[in-house]
Amino acid sequence: MTASHDARIPAALSRAGLSRRRFLRGVGYGGVALTGGSLLAACGTDPAKPRPEEQVAPDRSQQEKVVNFSNWPLYIDVAGKNEGKRPTLDAFTKQTGIEVNYTEDVNDNDEFFGKVRPQLQAGQPTGRDLFVVTDWMAARMIRLGFVQQLDKANMPNAGNLRAALESPPFDPDRSFTMPWQSGFAGLAYNAKVTGEVSSVEELLTRPDLKGKVTMLTEMRDTMGLTLLDMGKDPSDFTADDYAAAIDRVQKAVDSGQIRTFTGNEYAQDLAKGNIGACVAWSGDVIQLQFEDKNIKFVTPDAGVMLWSDNMMVPNKAAHKANAETLMNYYYDPAVAAELAAWVNYICPVDGAQEEMQEIDPELADNPLIFPDQATLDATHVFKDLSAEEERNYTQAFQRVIGA
Amino acid sequence: MSTLTAVRGGAPVETPEPSEPTPRRRRWVPYALLLPGLVWLAVFFLAPMATLFSTSLQVGSIDEGYRPAFRIANYTEALSAFSEQFFRSFGYAAMATVLALLVSYPLAYAIAFKAGRWKNVLLVLVIAPFFTSFLVRTLAWTAILGDQGLLLGQLKDIGLVSPDFRLLARPFAVVLGLTYNFLPFMTLPLYASLERIDRRLLEAADDLYSSAFTTFRKVTFPLSLPGVVAGTLLTFIPAAGDYINQRLLGTPRQSMIGTVIDSQFLRVLDYPSAAALSFTLMVSIVVLVWFYVRRAGTEELV
Amino acid sequence: MNVAGVPGAGAALRLDGLTKRFGDFLAVDDLHLDIPEGSFFALLGPSGCGKTTTLRMVAGLEEPTSGRIILGDEDVTDRRPYKRPVNTVFQSYALFPHLDIQENVAFGLRRRGQKDIPRQVQETLDLVQLAGYERRRPSQLSGGQQQRVALARALINHPRVLLLDEPLGALDLKLRRQMQLELKRIQLEVGLTFVHVTHDQEEAMTMADTIAVMNAGRVEQLGDPASLYEFPATVFVANFLGQSNLVHARVTGRSGDTLLLDVAGQRLAMPADRSRATAESVLVGVRPEKIYLALAGTRGSGNARSATGDNELSGVVTDASFTGTSTQYLVRTPRGQELVVFAQNTSADRRSATPGDNVVLHWDPAHTFAFDGSGKAEAEEATAEESAAVPRVGVGG
Repeated sequence: MTASHDARIPAALSRAGLSRRRFLRGVGYGGVALTGGSLLAACGTDPAKPRPEEQVAPDRSQQEKVVNFSNWPLYIDVAGKNEGKRPTLDAFTKQTGIEVNYTEDVNDNDEFFGKVRPQLQAGQPTGRDLFVVTDWMAARMIRLGFVQQLDKANMPNAGNLRAALESPPFDPDRSFTMPWQSGFAGLAYNAKVTGEVSSVEELLTRPDLKGKVTMLTEMRDTMGLTLLDMGKDPSDFTADDYAAAIDRVQKAVDSGQIRTFTGNEYAQDLAKGNIGACVAWSGDVIQLQFEDKNIKFVTPDAGVMLWSDNMMVPNKAAHKANAETLMNYYYDPAVAAELAAWVNYICPVDGAQEEMQEIDPELADNPLIFPDQATLDATHVFKDLSAEEERNYTQAFQRVIGA
Repeated sequence: MSTLTAVRGGAPVETPEPSEPTPRRRRWVPYALLLPGLVWLAVFFLAPMATLFSTSLQVGSIDEGYRPAFRIANYTEALSAFSEQFFRSFGYAAMATVLALLVSYPLAYAIAFKAGRWKNVLLVLVIAPFFTSFLVRTLAWTAILGDQGLLLGQLKDIGLVSPDFRLLARPFAVVLGLTYNFLPFMTLPLYASLERIDRRLLEAADDLYSSAFTTFRKVTFPLSLPGVVAGTLLTFIPAAGDYINQRLLGTPRQSMIGTVIDSQFLRVLDYPSAAALSFTLMVSIVVLVWFYVRRAGTEELV
Repeated sequence: MNVAGVPGAGAALRLDGLTKRFGDFLAVDDLHLDIPEGSFFALLGPSGCGKTTTLRMVAGLEEPTSGRIILGDEDVTDRRPYKRPVNTVFQSYALFPHLDIQENVAFGLRRRGQKDIPRQVQETLDLVQLAGYERRRPSQLSGGQQQRVALARALINHPRVLLLDEPLGALDLKLRRQMQLELKRIQLEVGLTFVHVTHDQEEAMTMADTIAVMNAGRVEQLGDPASLYEFPATVFVANFLGQSNLVHARVTGRSGDTLLLDVAGQRLAMPADRSRATAESVLVGVRPEKIYLALAGTRGSGNARSATGDNELSGVVTDASFTGTSTQYLVRTPRGQELVVFAQNTSADRRSATPGDNVVLHWDPAHTFAFDGSGKAEAEEATAEESAAVPRVGVGG
């Protein structure tokens, strides 16, 4: 496994010819880096949840004007080809005097969890003041008591959060998390390869798509859309519903209809025509469309899944106040618009659409970046799972995707 | 430092028949020299191995924590659930090893015997893929083997293969990826052992009525066996545990044991089951290797 | 017993204008040799003289640039090595490390699909006195034993010519002596033609019927050991084969069969038929062990031929070293020439010369030899460093 110990894999991928902008969320590989090492450290863990009062480190924000920020690769605006130059971050430093140590080391939710869990569980600092993970992982971390409550007094702009994102089940009053970006999980197809694909049913059964379909390794997106297609509500379903949905996907795997389950790499295959249709993330598709209008994003009639990636402050963070200042900064509509113009996911900040008019009116009108309230109301969020459900459902899903 | 002093303080080389007292002083020196290695082994091999084994027998979950329970069923459950992936892994690894051997042997032979002044250039070329990431190399194959890729795109354009034909997402692609990725691990030991063969032995065979082919069969190949053994082990072992190739070039139906371990550990968070699978994988590889090396019987050549 | 089965199965070997170039380097230069059937023939010379290249061309391991190799009455020049009825005992033995002794020895027979292999191996191992070692690996044998396996591995094939490439080079002195006799015994027993390459003049003289002394790709002199030693044809041979005292001289006249010489004012004589010189200026040689040494005063003046008819030269001992069977003296003549003398330690008279003593050197004129003297300093340089058995000593001139 030697060669796969590459912590900065998506960056390497982008060098290999993938458009950087397209590569927003790497899912799937980084885990290798950890399987060897941390597995060994995993034994005999302490069942006790860390006690919140012990998890607050003295805040050195005043003395040290820095914030250590871990994010996903290619998830922030950069100036031209210079990846080290990030206009919004540079402006933040200029404005507040706070230096940002920005690290793109979140390649995969599970992998990142494996990376920080040992410290967080042992009540030790992770060296990070702020990181970004997806809803369900945020839910798990809140459940395990790994993150700190935010001080809204430091974040006057927090009120700009779009109403539709204000109270997710895992954090009803957003006391631990602030969305970085959101997105839809829906369907996409390549019109050069196939005709319109409008439902998961078609994806799983249409003969002309046999072997040309991929789904996402992200369980909530893939299973959420499948449940919707079966008329079930992903935010409220039974174990039997889930089993039926798993069964449905498994059949498509067995018949060879589904080629494989992927992270971001589906984008490449979709563009090349190796696959005809797939479960896809909205931001990826917008970026594919810059180069090829034949790539279409589809919102199935049964509904789409809405997800967010959330900023959180881990226990023992040394610069919590600085982290809050940074979050506040990104909730300034002008800054949010600048970011959204680059990453193309759903902007969670009210007022950013107006700001976007000045940057790029075409993007301001794109419903995948600034969906209207009606569209957002029709989206679905995956149910907040208990520990046991999470384990069982993940296990079943992993079996389907071949693990 | 004391080690050095002791060596220097030992009996001078000229002393005929070193008598009893002097060697006794030196006897601990070899062990002292072994110490750093032993400490390393203990800290980075034995200790993790012990915790891995202990984890494999625990029960619990990420929320409740894990506690020792000596639950052998972790093994039986994991093995019965994933035996298919186990056998598939060994099968693919074996195929990849045989293919790598077939490709590497002529290559290593040519470099060792025929390359002349190009030898170093060719060796660098063999290692060159290592200059890029394992993942990038594997992804490159998706471009080559893609349904409309470099290879099939051309063939489909001229109508040699049907438009629906594909190479990716089949066992073929996974085995090919494994073969390709571990090729240098096969080629280099083969090269090293071929290079080491005394050319005068080949002349001797030539002198003793062996045609070129017989010389190869009776002298060159047997003498290169240490390289064959080393190369096959270095290919087979990582290939059996690999899952990148399956994930990028294959489908769930080609799922290998490495994929399962990764998923059990990172995604399902079932540490005991992941540990049990890892431990089983390791033990089965050790057992396979042990039988293989014994059968190959190359001890006195190594 | 005769391993070859067919007595006298050896064949004559003829090299006809054999030449080998490696790029600009002429390794073997138009070599003509006739090696009679059943003979023990030695190619003797310093390293780089072309002797091994010659052997390898006979074996087929090198391709001649030009010339022919005729074995018996067959021209084998263009045959691949494995098709030549010739086998080689390699310098490094080149035993197959992955095979035991039995299989090493049987290797050639198996390749030719012979029957009755165990018996033949047994007989050959008996011949080289290695019976009982069949199951050992080469690495488990000593150097001498490995050498014998190499010999057996070649002999068992009954080659028409057996080529030996410095076969004893890796052995220590005592073992080398023993193996020299052993090889000779075996050669007489099997009656094959042996061509033996060596840089060791003593080894060549011990074993060979005929020696070809090679230098710079050419044969300097060919003959039996005694005549090469007693009457060397060139400075190179005189120095490579044993040791010689060589001094510059001028031919002053001739009296019957005797040639009269002048060496820096001292007069010497020698039989005319022992001179190969054609000009007046010659190099005169005499072997160190042929010279007697007498303390001055116990003999005549030392400035003319003595009453016994010996040649005489006077000088001063500059060095004396005791070597066991003999004592080696260095004697400086008044003209600065340095001569070496080996005196047998036979005398009951324990009194011998010591450095500083004035001495008279005398020898039988019949032991004198001479050739053209143009060679001068070359006489010193040409002495091969590897001429191992006896340490080299400086030569006057």
